[in-house]
Formats: sequence, structure tokens, C-alpha cells
Amino acid sequence: MNRLKPAFARLNKLPRVALIVIGLFLALGSFAPWLAPQDPSAQNLLETGLGPTAAHWLGTDHLGRDTLSRLIIAANTSLVSVGSVLIIAMTVGVAMGTIAGYHRGWVDDLLMRIVDVGLSIPSLITALAVIGIVGPGYWTMVLALSLAWWPMSGRISRAVAVSIMSKPHIEALRVLGASPWRIYFGHLLPGTIGAVMVYATADAGTAALAVATLSFLGLGIQPPTPEWGQMLVDALPYLESDPRQVILPGLALTAAVIGFNILGESIALNRIPKPLSRRTLALRRIEVAGWAKENSDA
Amino acid sequence: MIHFISKRLRHSLVLLFMASLVCFTLVVSAPGNVAVLIAELRGAVATPGYVEKVAEEIGLHKPLLMRYAGWLGDAVRGDFGISYRTGQEVSADLPKRMLVTGTLIVGSAVVATLLGLALGFLGAFWPYRLPDRVSRGLALLGASTPTFFVGALMIYGFSVTFQLFPSFGFGGPESWVLPWVTVAVLPAAVLSRVVRVGLEEAMASPFVLTAKSKGLGRTAILFRDALPNIIPVFINALGTQVGLMTATAIIVEPLFAWQGVGDYFLQGVKFRDFMVVQACLLIFLAFFIVVNLIVDLAVLMTDPRVRRQWS
Amino acid sequence: MHDEPLLNVSNLTVDLLTAKAAVRPVDGVSYTVRQGECLAIVGESGSGKTVMNFAPLGLMPTGVTTNLSGSVRFDGRELIGLPESEIRKVRGKSIGFIFQDPMSALNPVRRVGRQIAEMAELHLKMTPRAAEERALELIKLVGISDPAARLRQFPHELSGGLRQRIVIAIALAGEPKLLIADEPTTALDVTVQAQILRLLKDLQRRLNMAMVLITHDMGVVAGAADNIVVMYAARAAERGPVDKVLVTPRHPYTRGLINAIPRREDPIGSEFRGLPGIPPTLGAPFKGCAFAPRCELAIPACTASRPPLARSADSAVVVACAVVNQRKAAA
Repeated sequence: MNRLKPAFARLNKLPRVALIVIGLFLALGSFAPWLAPQDPSAQNLLETGLGPTAAHWLGTDHLGRDTLSRLIIAANTSLVSVGSVLIIAMTVGVAMGTIAGYHRGWVDDLLMRIVDVGLSIPSLITALAVIGIVGPGYWTMVLALSLAWWPMSGRISRAVAVSIMSKPHIEALRVLGASPWRIYFGHLLPGTIGAVMVYATADAGTAALAVATLSFLGLGIQPPTPEWGQMLVDALPYLESDPRQVILPGLALTAAVIGFNILGESIALNRIPKPLSRRTLALRRIEVAGWAKENSDA
Repeated sequence: MIHFISKRLRHSLVLLFMASLVCFTLVVSAPGNVAVLIAELRGAVATPGYVEKVAEEIGLHKPLLMRYAGWLGDAVRGDFGISYRTGQEVSADLPKRMLVTGTLIVGSAVVATLLGLALGFLGAFWPYRLPDRVSRGLALLGASTPTFFVGALMIYGFSVTFQLFPSFGFGGPESWVLPWVTVAVLPAAVLSRVVRVGLEEAMASPFVLTAKSKGLGRTAILFRDALPNIIPVFINALGTQVGLMTATAIIVEPLFAWQGVGDYFLQGVKFRDFMVVQACLLIFLAFFIVVNLIVDLAVLMTDPRVRRQWS
Repeated sequence: MHDEPLLNVSNLTVDLLTAKAAVRPVDGVSYTVRQGECLAIVGESGSGKTVMNFAPLGLMPTGVTTNLSGSVRFDGRELIGLPESEIRKVRGKSIGFIFQDPMSALNPVRRVGRQIAEMAELHLKMTPRAAEERALELIKLVGISDPAARLRQFPHELSGGLRQRIVIAIALAGEPKLLIADEPTTALDVTVQAQILRLLKDLQRRLNMAMVLITHDMGVVAGAADNIVVMYAARAAERGPVDKVLVTPRHPYTRGLINAIPRREDPIGSEFRGLPGIPPTLGAPFKGCAFAPRCELAIPACTASRPPLARSADSAVVVACAVVNQRKAAA
């Protein structure tokens, strides 16, 4: 319990909006099959393009499927894909980064050059190029996005690994004759994974965006599995008559991304002091007022 | 100065060479028998004889190095081979497509720069006050809204509801407005933060204290002292964003029915037309390299400290 | 100007409120500077000497809220309570500033000529061309060779000494009555320090300006100043004419400072006579004398109440030490 305390303290400092949005996304994504009120792929051609009704809270799409259920299931699709992408990308990135940070020398140079090239090409283009060569499909999408994503975690974990390796206690371990395996698995890897996890979480919004974009382009998640980007492109031909079906999935995706972006922004360091909030200013003024009295008494 | 430019040019050439290698290996390493794939794409039955004919036709039996040299030589001359799918020259309407994508990217870059500067300055003028919060909120929204959703909203708002601008086609300037704005939203959001944070950082540096001690007002200090300091940073960020616009073009061009390179690339990916994918990828990579070169030279022009290092 | 000194600071207290804490770096300090006079303010880093001069003129970093009380009268005008827009008119025009680090005080991406000329445009209402002329004059005045070429250069192309001369030229461009120099020689090479100090002293005499010289270097004080204020932990410990204070320091802190200067007759290898202990960190004001914990004369009464500044035997010098002042009374 005591070990959890700092984690909670850190959680408390994060913006509440971000926590709520991300929590909602995680909850909906994890328990979607139980939360969705109706079967997301049940078609009813008699009830197409409905507005909100008691039976369909957010209406139905052009095939008469319940939009709310589809939105909820889409959260699950998104969460699973994003999770897989990030886990694969992080595993590769951390492995490459720690090896580079442990070995330095030409291994480091080579890996970081590859990372540089990877980072300089937009991830969508990398992913599309891979899909274009291998052919579309769910796992192609996940692999393609992982390929586009690992350089980022590779660079971060290399930086963390280098700083860990230069710490005195690692030097001491080496002098004492600890095996490279022990240093690598016992000290370097755990330290790096922790730091990279934080960045990966903040990056989840961009990954969700990429999944949705690929699905929007018809190269990611294929119908009938609901996914926000794919729902949007599905409804696009009916934009004029039924804009709701375009706007709802767009809003859901935007909200999720906003949550992660706020989180990322709050993690990024801000070195410039902000002006005092009204509350701290008042507190300080009271503090100072106490001094003045003390002095005049003396 | 001359030394730097020549060194930088050589660097760019090396990068171009590496980019061509990447494009070539990507296609060569494609899984499955390419000849079978092409035969099928052409709608023929993949009999062993026909497959063999196709393999011969596209030079599959030659050594890799020869194939690379031949391909590169043709590519430099603007010949990207024959589309596996249509059997036509890949480069047939490439110039026209590059013009379309060029129009999209240049226009969007201008819109993004203007919007980003305006929003960023709004925040820097009244830091932590209402205009700053509005600018910050808009930036967060702009950076979080998926581009295809922005595009859909634009079409719905300005084309369907108010019928101000056409929603598709590459016609006159009025047909450019919606795609430009759609592509510009995300870069504008990012650039506005670059401007806002950059100005705040510059305003916290010691030379601003000197400027204050001169009796200059806040506005004068912002424009005379802080602004010149963030220009190199801004150019760098703009360069990155312009590079990313190629990716956005892939989303936006099909949405507005523009026949640009992005659209071409997407078609190539969808139909696994390797030659098209390869050609577009090479164009994109070359574009990044050129943009980076221009950015470096522009930074050299605007930052006397960098200039000093290289002169 | 009647008989009033150019700058009259009385009972100035500055509180700085930041997100982390509230501190009082200046606590009831008074001093005056007359036209053509040079006042040295001496103290260790963190004794509040810079804040004391910059805060009343609105020159504080962002993220800090400043609370001022007491009085700062400059040229017959009360500065405390003036709105920022009014104080701004005083800065640069009537008061010139010189900063500690010439490396960071100049804008790195602007030509030094522009940085000087904009002062003349702003305060002397000159056209840009006339201002350039004025910049050239100023740059000659501060003794820079090849002035026309220097104007077109960027700060990083100049040496530290040259940069400090540029900063001085900027400070002089508005034809100020008072020059506030914050450790003008600290960041410079030893050989350049003397040059810059001589230049400052010379300019002050020729232009008949008043000058406040903030420093921690007793050597600088002896050569340049007429009067001196010794600061310790936000308060003035001793104040008086330089020749009297330096020759017969009365406050134990001043004595310690002067004693710490290496002397020629010291045998080589002799121990450095520093002050024992470390200066207190700034925070809430002290009860009693702030120097008491490090003082060899301290008596229990020292920690009870703050010692007032009182006239010493020589009426020109005031000292804030209960023990010293008591002895004088007894004598």
C-alpha cells in the first residue's frame, strides 16, 4: 500500500478531465460487449437512419444498426488495436534502445541512425507503404503501425538507458563483477520500461488516431467490425441526409484523443514559472502580512 | 557559408540515395511471387507459362544490383516503370498530380502559418488570460481532431449546409479553400503552441530584462526582441509540419476527390500496385529531403549564431 | 532640485511572492544618492542588493509578484505606487542599467547597432538614421575601436569586455541622470574588469551622473565609490562615506569582510581569513540581528530584537549593531 502512495500522488496532479476521459475510454473499451445495449451488427432495414428514440438512444445508421452500441464496441476495437500496437512497438523499441544504450559504439550508431530515418518519415506513410507491400488485414495494420511507432520508444529508451548506465551504482556493480545479464535484466531493463510506459501512454491518442485513419482509408479495420474511423467513412455517403452518423463517431474519437493529449501535455516539462494563481497569491500575502506585524512589535 | 551549403547538399544527396535504396528494397522484399500477383492483377489466369512471361517482362531474373541500377537510372529520368495494374506508364500523369499535391501543400502551409502565428501571438499577448486560454483550447482541439473528421465537418458545414465552397474537384481557387483549411488545422494548432511557448521562453530570457530596462513596452519587446529569437525554431517546426502534410494529403485528397500524389499512393496501396507505391514513396522521401534542406538553409539565414558556426 | 538628493530611498521593504514561497529580500533599507555621486552597495550574493535596486523600477523576472513598501523618491518623484506605464518612462530615459552578465544581456539575434539605436529613437525621439549616428557616437564614447564595423556585428561575435561596453553604451543612450550597475565586472576577465571599472568611473564624472554600484568586491568599492551601504541578509548593516567605513569598519560583518581581503604583508601560504559560518537563506525576516549566529561579539540581547541603525562616534557613519552602539554610548 505504501508503494502505491507516490503513484496516487502523481495521479492526483494530472488534469482531472484527462483522467475522466481516459478512464471512460478504458472502461468502455474493456467491458464493451457487456455494456453495449444491443447487438452492434444486427441490421434492421425497416429502421434505417433514425433519430434518437427510446430503443436507439443515438439513432440508427443506414443499415438500421444501433449507433450507441456500435460506438461502444468501437471503443473496444480501438483499445485492443492501440494496445497491441503500443505493446509491440514498445517491446521492439525498448529492446533496441537498451541494447544501444548498453553497448554504445557502432551498435548505438547504427540503431540510432535507423531510428532517425524512421522518425523522419510520417508514420502514416510508413504504415501505408508496408500495407501496400504486404496487403491489407488486421494484423498487417497492427504490424505496420508498430513499425512506424517503435522508433519513438526506441529513442526515449536509449536516452533513459544511457542515463541509467552512467549512474555510479551500475559502475560499482561492474567493478564488483556482476554479470552483464544481471546488469541488463536486473537494473537497465526495469528502469527503462517504467520511463517508456509513461510516454507510451501519452502517445496512445496519436496511435488511436492512426488506427482510425487507416480504417477510414479502408486499410485498417474492416466492416462489419465497428471502428470509429470506419463508421465515419461508412456514413459519409449519407452526410447530407444523416450527418449525425458522421459526427458521432468523429466526436467519440476526438474526445479520446483530447484526453490523451491533455495527459501528454501535462507530462511535458514546463520550465518557465507561471504567474501566481489568485489563491496562492492570497496565501502569500497573508504570510507576508504576518511578518510585518512581527517586525513592528519588535 | 559556401562550405556549409556544399556540405549540406552532399548530405542531401546521400540521403536521396538511401531513400532510393529503401524504396527499392521495400518492393523487392514483398512476400509472394510478384509475377503471380501481377498476372492476377491483370485479370489473367496465372498459368506457369504466363507467370514466366511476366517475370521475364519485368526483369525478375536479372541480378538485384542490375535491377536497382536500371530502376534508379530510369527513376532519375522521371520514368517509374509500368503500372502492374493498368499496364500504363506510372509517370504518365505524375506531373499533373504533383501540381495538385503541390497546390494543396503550399496553400495549406500558408494558411497554417498565418493561423498558427495569429493564435500563438494571441496567447503570448495576454498570457494565462482569456485570449490565451481560448488559443490554447483551440490548439488542443485542432491537434486532437482527426483530419478526416475535420474534412467531413468542413464539407458538411461549408458545402452542404451553406453551399459556400464546392466539396470536391480540383477547380478554381474556391475549390481549394476547404482542402487547404482541412490540411492546415493540425499544423496550425502545433505551430500556435510553438509560437506561444517560444515567445514565453524568449520573454523569460535575460536580454528581455535589458529591453525592459530600456523603457520599451511589452508589445515592442515581443516584436523586436522575442520574435526574431523564435523565427529559426518556427521555421524548423514549419518544415516538420510541411513534411507531415504529405501524409495528410493521402487522407484529404480522396475526401475532396483531388487527383494528387497522395491519392495515387493510396490507390497503389489499395491495389498493391508496387510500381505506383514505389514511385510515390520516392517522391515523398525526396520531398522530405528537399524540405529539410530548405529548412536548414533558412535557419542559417535567420540565426546569426548558426551562421557563425559555419562561416 | 532644491537640496533633495537625486535618489532617496527610505525604509524600503520588498516582498517577493512566488509559487513556492514568499521571501523578504529587502527589509527596511534607506540610502540616498546625490547628483555626481557614486554609492556602492556591498553584500554577499542573496543579500538582496540587486532586488533592492531593480524591484522598485519594475525589473523583476516573470512569475514573481513584487510587494513594495516604504519610499523611493527619484528626481523629486515618488516611484512606489506609480503604474508600470509611468515607471517605464523613467527606465532607460532617466535611469540607465548595466547588468552582471553581458553574455546574456544582449539579444543574440539582433545587431548591436540596432540595440543601441533603438534607445535613441525611443527616448530622444530621433529618426532611425539619426539614431544610428548617435549609436556610433556612443560606441566611440565607451572606447570601442573600429566603431562602424562593430555596430553591424552580432553580440556573440564580440568578446565579453566589448559586450559590456555595448551594454554601457545602451545604458547611456537615453542620457540618464542615474546609472545602476549590477556587478558590472563580475562576469569579466580580471584584466578587463579594471578597464570597465575605469570606464564607468570616468563616464560618471564626465557626464556628471549619479551611480549606484552593486558589487561584492571591496576592491571595486575602494576605487570607485563615495559612499557605501553594506548589506547583510536583506538589511543594511553599515552605511557611510567609503573612506571612513573602509578604514575603520565598525559593524562586525563589515570588519569581517574587510579582514578577508588578502593583504600584501600576508606571508605566502598563510590561511585565508574568511568569515565563519554561511550566510542565511532568504525567507521570513529574522527576529533580532541576522548576523548574530556568525558574530564574535554576539550577546543574548542580539537575538531579542532587531538592532536599529544608529549614528556612530563619527556622525557620518551609521551602524546597525547593538553591541557596537552600546560601547559607544558607554564611552
